[in-house]
Amino acid sequence: MPFNQAFALSSVTLAATAFSGLVLAQSVPFWLALPTAIILIISLLHAGGVLFLRRAMAQITDSPTLWNVLLIGAFVILLIDLTVVSRDLLPAGIHFLVVLLGIKLLTLQQRRDYRHLYVISLMAILASAALTTEAWYVPIFMLYLLTAVWTLLLYHLTQETSEISAAATLPGTVACRTTFPSRITYRFFWLTNGIVILTVALTLAIFFLIPRIGVGVLQKTSGEAVRTTGFSDRVDLGTIGSVKQNPQIVMRVELPDQSAGGKDRFYLRGLAYDQYNGRSWSHSGTRQRSLNLAADGTFLVRPPGSHPIDRPSETIRQDILLETLDTSVLFAAPFAELVSGEFHTVQADAMSGIHLPFPPSSRIRYSVTSQVPQLRANERTASTLAYPDSIRFHYLQVPMGLEQVADLAHRVTQRAATPFEQTQMIQQHLLENYRYSLESEVATLNHPLEEFLFTRKTGYCEHYATAMVVMLRTVGIPARLVTGFLATEWNEYGSYFTVRQRDAHAWVEVYFPHSGWITMDPTPTISAAVATSRWELLSRLAESVRLQWDRLFVHYSAKDQLAVVHGVREGSDAVRERMGRWVSSLGAPISQAFMRLTHMAQAFHSGMFGLITGTIVVGLSLVLLMLRDRIALWAVTHLLPKSLPQRAIVQLYTRMLRIVERHGVRKPPAATASEFARLVELEWKAAGPMVADVTAVYNQGRFSRAPLTQDDLSRVTEQLGQLQSLARSAP
Amino acid sequence: MNSAHSIRAIQDNIALVIKGKAHVIEMVVVCLLARGHLLLEDVPGVGKTTLGHSLARSLDCSFKRIQFTSDLLPSDIVGLSMFNRQKQGFEFIPGPIFANIVLADEINRTTPKTQSSLLEAMSEAQVSVDNQTHPLEQPFMVIATQNPAEYHGTFPLPESQLDRFLMRLCIGYPALEDERKVLDRPHSLHPAETLEAVLSAPDILALQAHVDQVHMEESLTDYLLAIVQATRQSELLSLGVSTRGALGLSKAAKALAVVRGRDYCLPDDIKELAPIVLSHRVMLNRTHGMRTQSFEQAERMVLDIVETVPVPV
Repeated sequence: MPFNQAFALSSVTLAATAFSGLVLAQSVPFWLALPTAIILIISLLHAGGVLFLRRAMAQITDSPTLWNVLLIGAFVILLIDLTVVSRDLLPAGIHFLVVLLGIKLLTLQQRRDYRHLYVISLMAILASAALTTEAWYVPIFMLYLLTAVWTLLLYHLTQETSEISAAATLPGTVACRTTFPSRITYRFFWLTNGIVILTVALTLAIFFLIPRIGVGVLQKTSGEAVRTTGFSDRVDLGTIGSVKQNPQIVMRVELPDQSAGGKDRFYLRGLAYDQYNGRSWSHSGTRQRSLNLAADGTFLVRPPGSHPIDRPSETIRQDILLETLDTSVLFAAPFAELVSGEFHTVQADAMSGIHLPFPPSSRIRYSVTSQVPQLRANERTASTLAYPDSIRFHYLQVPMGLEQVADLAHRVTQRAATPFEQTQMIQQHLLENYRYSLESEVATLNHPLEEFLFTRKTGYCEHYATAMVVMLRTVGIPARLVTGFLATEWNEYGSYFTVRQRDAHAWVEVYFPHSGWITMDPTPTISAAVATSRWELLSRLAESVRLQWDRLFVHYSAKDQLAVVHGVREGSDAVRERMGRWVSSLGAPISQAFMRLTHMAQAFHSGMFGLITGTIVVGLSLVLLMLRDRIALWAVTHLLPKSLPQRAIVQLYTRMLRIVERHGVRKPPAATASEFARLVELEWKAAGPMVADVTAVYNQGRFSRAPLTQDDLSRVTEQLGQLQSLARSAP
Repeated sequence: MNSAHSIRAIQDNIALVIKGKAHVIEMVVVCLLARGHLLLEDVPGVGKTTLGHSLARSLDCSFKRIQFTSDLLPSDIVGLSMFNRQKQGFEFIPGPIFANIVLADEINRTTPKTQSSLLEAMSEAQVSVDNQTHPLEQPFMVIATQNPAEYHGTFPLPESQLDRFLMRLCIGYPALEDERKVLDRPHSLHPAETLEAVLSAPDILALQAHVDQVHMEESLTDYLLAIVQATRQSELLSLGVSTRGALGLSKAAKALAVVRGRDYCLPDDIKELAPIVLSHRVMLNRTHGMRTQSFEQAERMVLDIVETVPVPV
């Protein structure tokens, strides 16, 4: 079979395959499927070389305006479809695609028409992929793949042969007239198909054999995880100090519901500790509880069956991007209620700490909804509080031999009337009488707490927190030590907190029977360096860009795809509704319509907005692409300085070369302009006069001393316009 | 007189005698306008001498013909000093070279010594005899012919002397129709004798001055030099084109522009002239061809090289 015929045949087959995919997905109604199928059959016969069809088609498709008229008609149909018939963007789009396919098949003449056909087919096969999960799609797709490979191959081959024949007829050149094949042999056919099938088989094998990994292969592995301290089962006083200097980022916390900069301090709770042995803190209970997975993919932290206690609390939603750490703890504001993220199990301990079964091997992103308990007014003023036994048992433990500390606690709180006042006085005492310092050599100390309270009077957060917990416990108020991070660095560009190693912190939770555990911090605020320097601002900007990248690309998943599809579906309803309203109010003054438009834009779902913007951008670029020659012509004749007609004529001439080259006649570099004009006369007779005319002006303008007049240039522009329309209409 | 008109006239005039060789005639005129000398190389009897003759007749200026033989002496060309008894002193008697158009027939038949005396006159436009310098008439053009078919008893011109000729042309056999016209002509007179002069010597000098005014765009000069460079770097050639060759091509291109009625050069001028102006100035690489190079071979090589040089857009 000759290349040209095979090329036409395989192009139409490609379109037919894509179309059958849509039909099998039951997304093409019968009234549309039937005429398209008939057009497809006719095109197949036409490409196959049935002679009388060929003549008939030539008559139909000769008119260059036909395509434009049909296209406008199809677009009108799309609008009607969208607003009246199917009332949904997706089916309307598919109908439009099918109509477009039919029109394109009818007006298939030039190479670029074939290219358009391929794009439409690709969109059709993609649409059918989106519409179905059925098994029949596999053979259709395989067929599509095969024909696509064939079509592109033949497209290239036909192009090559036409170029070679163009080059061979050039006078004066030593053209290498290789014996270029022009027909498909059996060997060629089977070899190509074999390679395609082999490739697909190999791809499938790789697809199924290589295990799924959710992380980049070259991403940092756990071997380089950020070293943290303070999140193990024990807290030794004196280990945070070294971490306190480290500016490495451990996580970024976004607060989607909070206004920017609403908080200057944000506590990210890690683990709580109840047992103190005089030197270090530990957990008493090691019981872990796996959290229940709710239907929407979130984990409920509350034990099943328990009802939320009616407490005054503040709800905070957080989106956290956690760097690779050597701990499995998931940090969140106290206390986490709902957790969601890309993990299968989440565990919780008895003291509301949540963590994964093992430390994550890559950075993870998760969302937490927390309820921050607030102290009830009646507990603030109650003189005595009745604590449950389990709380008294766990959270009043004090190591032996701390009489001195107990004395201090009683002395500090002797004037307090209520437990809350006692708490406040102890906190106040610690805040006012002790100095915050990271330089404490506690490694050799046997009694770090007494050392802190009575001798050194300097220490850091763990000392303060330990002192407060122990003092509270000695006066009979249940309390516990909590470690985590205290976020203070607000990134105003990305609206999130940047949390660094040096933000590691320890604080106190005090128990009130009806309010729950209330966060208290006896550590004096370390005045954070205010980021005013330009570099720091810049680095924050860069930081926020990195976070966006991670959110939008690295962690984009199938779930997100689904969310986008849902968004589009909902959005398309909204568009239709609003469009109807807009049409009905066309008579209203323009200002009102404009107001409505802006209102519409604001009301759009953000995904929908993105979709529309994308469509406009794609449409605009298509228009620009189609008109690029005209635009360039206009630019050359109007924008170039009038003193440079020489440059203008060179540009115009180059433009002409490009038009003619697209038709298959290329200028050999060693050919002069006049020689090329003669070549065009031979190869493409219709374009001969125009090319000769342009060449004459070019020769004069380019090489003579006298500058061209504006008339000359506009004449050349006119000739190029004619040439272009000739190129459009020529087969 | 209008330059385009006079150029047309001279071509038409020669075409009355030399039938069907419009291109060759055009090149001869180009050579004249470029102040160059012409080497006609072809088999005997195709009209080399007639061509030179016709050109000379078409111009209203002096014409001499020298038949080169092996016993010709330099003084037979440039002239000699003789003792004049009446004047009691030496008197210079000018040779045939003192003419506007000199036809040097069968230039390769004479000895190198005699050849060189002619060639010196060609490049210097003057002759020196007995310490006296005698300027030649202007315009001055030498049309030399030689027979490539026969090498026996000849002294082929060395490359350095070939270089002095602006062009080497081959007339070739006329087409059948044209040959018939030649035969149908009445034989009473030599056809060249019937020609009337259409151009005077001052006219020619004016045209030659006009050629110097022709504009050659910068990129065209680069293109010309690229061709020259390509001949020097080509593996096919053992000797490339000299600077004199480049200069000659530039002059010839300008003259062709005038002949074609333009006051600016086109790449086509250079490309068309390159084989004619350059092919006798190059030496083929011995490994690629025969020891003696034929006209067609060299022209073919130069053409091939020109086809590798991109034309400025």
